[in-house]
Amino acid sequence: MNAPAGSSRFTVLAGSAIGAILLGGMLFGFALLPIIQGRQAGIDAWTAFCRSLGIGPGTPAASSPADTAAPRPVSDVAWTGATLAALAGAAPAAPPEAAQQCASCHGEKGIAIDPAFPNLAGQSAAAIFKQLHDYRSGARAHDVMTPMAQGLAEEDLAPLAVHFASQPKGSLDVTARADRNLPVADLVFRGDPARGIPACQACHGARSGGPIETPTLSRQNEAYLADQLRRYASGERGNDIYGRMRGFAAKLTEDEIKRLAAFYAWTE
Amino acid sequence: MASEEDVLRTEIRWSYVVAGATALILGAILFAGLARGINPPSNLERIDPKTLHLTGEFAEGNLGTRVAPNGDVTVRIVTTQFAFVPQCVVVPTGRRVTLRFASPDVIHGVLVAGTNVNTMVIPGYVAQVHSTFTKTGDLLTPCHEYCGLGHSQMWAVVRAVPPDRFAADAEGRANCDRL
Repeated sequence: MNAPAGSSRFTVLAGSAIGAILLGGMLFGFALLPIIQGRQAGIDAWTAFCRSLGIGPGTPAASSPADTAAPRPVSDVAWTGATLAALAGAAPAAPPEAAQQCASCHGEKGIAIDPAFPNLAGQSAAAIFKQLHDYRSGARAHDVMTPMAQGLAEEDLAPLAVHFASQPKGSLDVTARADRNLPVADLVFRGDPARGIPACQACHGARSGGPIETPTLSRQNEAYLADQLRRYASGERGNDIYGRMRGFAAKLTEDEIKRLAAFYAWTE
Repeated sequence: MASEEDVLRTEIRWSYVVAGATALILGAILFAGLARGINPPSNLERIDPKTLHLTGEFAEGNLGTRVAPNGDVTVRIVTTQFAFVPQCVVVPTGRRVTLRFASPDVIHGVLVAGTNVNTMVIPGYVAQVHSTFTKTGDLLTPCHEYCGLGHSQMWAVVRAVPPDRFAADAEGRANCDRL
């Protein structure tokens, strides 16, 4: 089929119009706007052009006040690839030697001998690792745990964490559970938006996708849970990165703390 | 019946309209960018999310509102699952404020209701927005990028106060408790 007369003229016209718009748009977006806006922020034309293309990490577009305060980290733990890889390993066939010291309070299989101590069986390895690390660095303090953790070498921490994480959780006494089933499900599953409290399960639920170090709470000892919430609320315990738990715990009432502790202690 | 030439002439006429509309849109973008300072947050600044809590600027003690000796106001906020830290920041009205956000975990979003502050916070980058607050009061600041199960309970407050009520301590820090 023959091209109709004038078709080639139209192709040229439309092509150059589209090209002009494309080039004009690129000129505006990559050169004109960033260069003129950069001038207000004291950035020279070439730097502004490179920043608009995404080449090279830019300095702030406007100078911001220098921070003179020294960082005071609440926890030294950084979830680097090496740390995560150490925790992802399979549990050692025989318990690590250091686990014998843990057993005197936390039980040989990670079930604590006294409800004031936390159970470690079935706990997340990342959570155990972080707490041991924090006791070692002083971010979290406890009369017994601080010297215990400081007696361990850095490379002992991950195998210990993996060992206890691989133990099965304790069984639930269903008869005792019945009188502990206090209504607090709203906080656990829905949180309280008005007070800015997220649902506990948003982080503590199984596979919920919260921060890596979040411990699992189900079948943890009631007395221990309530005690830790009170310590977070008062600021006595402060090794939670960015105050995630300090902030939420401070908004809870004493009654809610008791109910939450009971809920998790007696829930699957 | 219209000939090929008629169709062509019509198409060319309409292409002028399209070209005009495109020029108008580009002009509007240019006007907004140059005269009103409105553009996508374009600050490219990398920061390691794994060590955010250990680095200088976004360590816990350095968050919140800070006034530099030269009078520049900077607000630093960490967005994390599932809270803004700090949950309340105070800013003066009528003054240019720089807001800087960083995330240690997942992508969050920040929207300060009724202002031009509206940005995503992507782990690995510092999100920076400049604003001059005009309205006083507690401006609701929700997370507007789904970040996990606690997303709907994640919000903060930006407390905009008149300049005469805005007070910073000797170190240049200002927070909601001091008001």
